Amino acid sequence: MSTISTTPVAAVRHASPSAAKPAVRKSRETRRKKAANIVYAILAIVVFVGSAFPVYWMINTSFLPANLIRGSELHYFPTPETFTLRNYESAILSEDRAAFLPALGNSLAVTLFTLLVAMLLGFLASLAVTRFRFKGRRAFILAILVVQMIPGEAMMISIFRIIDGWQLLNTIIGLGIVYVSGVLPFTIWTLRGFVNGVPAELEEAAMIDGCSRGKAFWKITFPLLAPGLVATGVFAFIQAWNEFVMALIIMSRPDSMTLPVWLRTFLQATQATNWGAVMAGAVLIAIPVVIFFLIVQGRMTGGLVSGAVKG
Amino acid sequence: MKRNRLVATSVASTITLALALTACSTGGNDNGSGEGEAATGDIRVWLNGSDTPDAAREYLKTTFEEENPGSTLTIEEQSWTGLVDKLTTSLSGSDSPDVVEVGNTQSPAFTSAGFFREITEEEFQSLGGDDLLQGFVEAGDWDEKHYALPYYAGSRAVFYSPSAIGSDITVPATLDEYVELGKSLKTDSRSGVYWPGQDWYNALPFIWENGGFIAEQNDAGEWEGGFSSEGGLAGLAQVQDLMTNASLAPKDGQETDLQVPFCEGKVAFLSAPTWIQWSINAPEEPETPDGVPGCASTYGGDLTAFPLPGKEAGTTAQVFAGGSNIAVAQKSNNPELAFKAFEIMMSDEYQTILAENGLIPAKVSLASAVPQDNPIAQAGVAAAANTRLTPASPKWADVEAQNVLQSAFTKIANGDDVKTVAAELDAKIEEILNS
Amino acid sequence: MSSTTLEPRTERSGAAVRPPKKRRPPVLPWTLLLPSLVVLGVLVGYPIVRLVVMSFQKYERAQLMGQPAEWVGFDNYAQVLTDVDGFWTVLLRSFLFMVVCVALTMLIGTLVALLMMRLGKGFRLLVSIGLLLAWAMPALAGTVVWGWIFDSDYGVVNNLLTKITGENWLGHAWLINPLLFFTVATIIIVWGAVPFVAFTMYAGLTQIPGEVLEAAQLDGAGPVKRFRLIMVPYVRSIITVLVVLSIIWDLRVFTQIYALQDIGGIREQTNTIGVYIYQMGMAQGHYGLAGAISVIFVFIMLAISFYYVRQTVREEEL
Repeated sequence: MSTISTTPVAAVRHASPSAAKPAVRKSRETRRKKAANIVYAILAIVVFVGSAFPVYWMINTSFLPANLIRGSELHYFPTPETFTLRNYESAILSEDRAAFLPALGNSLAVTLFTLLVAMLLGFLASLAVTRFRFKGRRAFILAILVVQMIPGEAMMISIFRIIDGWQLLNTIIGLGIVYVSGVLPFTIWTLRGFVNGVPAELEEAAMIDGCSRGKAFWKITFPLLAPGLVATGVFAFIQAWNEFVMALIIMSRPDSMTLPVWLRTFLQATQATNWGAVMAGAVLIAIPVVIFFLIVQGRMTGGLVSGAVKG
Repeated sequence: MKRNRLVATSVASTITLALALTACSTGGNDNGSGEGEAATGDIRVWLNGSDTPDAAREYLKTTFEEENPGSTLTIEEQSWTGLVDKLTTSLSGSDSPDVVEVGNTQSPAFTSAGFFREITEEEFQSLGGDDLLQGFVEAGDWDEKHYALPYYAGSRAVFYSPSAIGSDITVPATLDEYVELGKSLKTDSRSGVYWPGQDWYNALPFIWENGGFIAEQNDAGEWEGGFSSEGGLAGLAQVQDLMTNASLAPKDGQETDLQVPFCEGKVAFLSAPTWIQWSINAPEEPETPDGVPGCASTYGGDLTAFPLPGKEAGTTAQVFAGGSNIAVAQKSNNPELAFKAFEIMMSDEYQTILAENGLIPAKVSLASAVPQDNPIAQAGVAAAANTRLTPASPKWADVEAQNVLQSAFTKIANGDDVKTVAAELDAKIEEILNS
Repeated sequence: MSSTTLEPRTERSGAAVRPPKKRRPPVLPWTLLLPSLVVLGVLVGYPIVRLVVMSFQKYERAQLMGQPAEWVGFDNYAQVLTDVDGFWTVLLRSFLFMVVCVALTMLIGTLVALLMMRLGKGFRLLVSIGLLLAWAMPALAGTVVWGWIFDSDYGVVNNLLTKITGENWLGHAWLINPLLFFTVATIIIVWGAVPFVAFTMYAGLTQIPGEVLEAAQLDGAGPVKRFRLIMVPYVRSIITVLVVLSIIWDLRVFTQIYALQDIGGIREQTNTIGVYIYQMGMAQGHYGLAGAISVIFVFIMLAISFYYVRQTVREEEL
């Protein structure tokens, strides 16, 4: 405990924390035994294969010609003879279904809106409930918890009514605020845990140094929360990106469709389903999530926190 | 302390909700705007999946825009997945579509709740009256008024490929012969009759032909299930006989991707909706990027079909008719224009286009327009002549929503005792219909 | 320790030092909360109120079109609570399912997070990407692919089993036995939930200062002891959050079960509470009943998490 409460003051004084790229002490990993590393590497591969196999199967299928997808002969690997891009062609270019690009645009817009608004509001609210003591705080925390227990399937109609009443059907903002309200309780709840992990002494120190409180939050706490923000941000991103039912009923016009709704249009009731195209579409939907994650993943390690503390 | 607060909050919310309630019930009754003056506008027609052929869509749009200068018509294709959710919200909201298609078994849920504009007796007569498919008219009626009309029907036939099972096959003349033949055609790797357990539509003819029924109203107005009746049990026994002794299909499978086992030569008889022919006799290498492979050069090439035979020789079995109804939305912003589009879709010209594309048209008199140049089309039309529907109760939709029949027939396929399953099934159906 | 109005939230710091000048109205925290309160109040609060109102009404599809709703008192509640075959069976089933899923998710998630701590950059990225791919996969495609893997005729599992054992597994239906159905469902849920738990745990674990762990190691604490005595206290609030969220999510699970029932299995033996509420509400239009089920459900959840809720509230009393 003492390590945290004393050293950070020095750390903050010495380095401007927003740009804090402290020299991390040479990793102790190197001292580990090689044998252990091999075991860990094997475990890592097991975890990777276990979680990625269904994804691999989806990708593999998306490059198979339609007549090889469902049948007694299974094709575990793509070969040069069977490889085809036809499913992607079908998913993106086919005139029989809604266009891909507008749906992609809608999905991006809704998801970014959700992400930014939820992160901002969640950050502010989590500060309020962790750094201050005031009347109504407990009630708020309790409410945030209880709200998450309510089955969403039961509230769909009422939410639709509200958005309809505000004339926000078929708008990015309409669907966006529904998603924000969906992920916000979770965001506050989780960020609260992460804010607890950032010693308040850091802020105090900054304030002693002449920062205003707002500035202290923004310059010290916010960057230190990076791991938590990334974890909740990825969550918010994926929730908004993959949500189907609310998108279906709120974005009821074809030109306001989002990607998950677009994908369902591939499923036909009175025609055989083109599974190759479904899988290709699903791969296309997953790509932006992976890109987003690769961009933010570096922030996920607690480098800043441990760095600041170790100073 | 904490408990007190909880009580206080809930009291407070009860008060708020009482207020909210009054506010809602007074505000909810007005609907539609601009009734009276036939203005111009954009009419949105919701069609499901790709069932409606392009020629019909084209005809609808051009005819409507010609007849109503200044107005436009947009067809918005909906997916069957999540359709009831979307209709429930959109039809009750401010951005309602004007004309919608619903599955015939889904339609009571909407007609009974005022989602559709009423079709007067006079309009009904002018749109076809008694010429319309009776079962579908009933599906769109509520409280002795018309709300939704038939759009098109599909029908079922039994498909087979002579090159797979031998061209010396004689088409069975009765249902019992069909069962025997199906069992005799089964081999270790081939189903005599391919029948996934969740496919309950195919089981209904066996119930009906043996004198059973799904559910009927007694004199007191109570619904009584009919699977435990003598005929019902006989029918179920035949179904189980086929499912366990003639079929290698997954006991809990659905009736999707039926062309796959068929094209692998693993199926002798396949009882399926007639549109399955397009999937089976499609080329192995799809011509369009969107195509799904069939087996045109092998079992699809000589694909043929017969209507499921009835109990007596020379008759066809009563089969379940799937299909759609159409209706004008109650909250359409432009009810008069919407009705004009609706009229076009019910017109002989439009319905003839549907028929020419292999669908069974809403009007009996137009059935001859269905091309009968091949045995499959003939089988489809013959089967459609003897269709029957599920019980005409708005609660029936609940039975389907709970997938009661899928569960029961999966158990039948799994070899459970027929009597027990029938008794449970009847009890469940009675519970729902009489609730 | 706490010098100005700013109060550090260090555990057990004691509420003793509370300068009298802090009694002025707390403007700043409420300003920070305001945006969230507005959004949640309108889009969550109001629907909850409506839900509770509906649960006392006969509210069906016709009421959506403006017909006045009939007030039925506790009828809906009575109907739900006396439905042993329906509600109670489904609830018990969901509960057991949830316990298994949460336990497995937390266990595997934590182990993966610990593993990530030990890995070098390259392998860590590999694991992260694997986890992320699982997480990013659209729910529809995910369940379809898992359905294919366990498909009776053309599935990977049956295909491999046939090859390995030499017996003919083709046609073996995995989902028709409810126990096996839920085994497959558990795999799907845990597969989908582990990434989130692992990432969050990992993010939390990296907040622990290296010195603390190092000191413990020098004191001779083994890995298990270090985990239990050093790491767990540090990430306790994150663990409880994850457990509570997992409980909530797995009890409410809807999409995966609903989609899996499409692929196979006997529905009435595999319904969970989320599917049940959906069937009552959206599918059948009994919004009043669905509302009553939801309210009862929330109370049961509160009862389950009572200990945790009390704990939270007590901590907040500091």
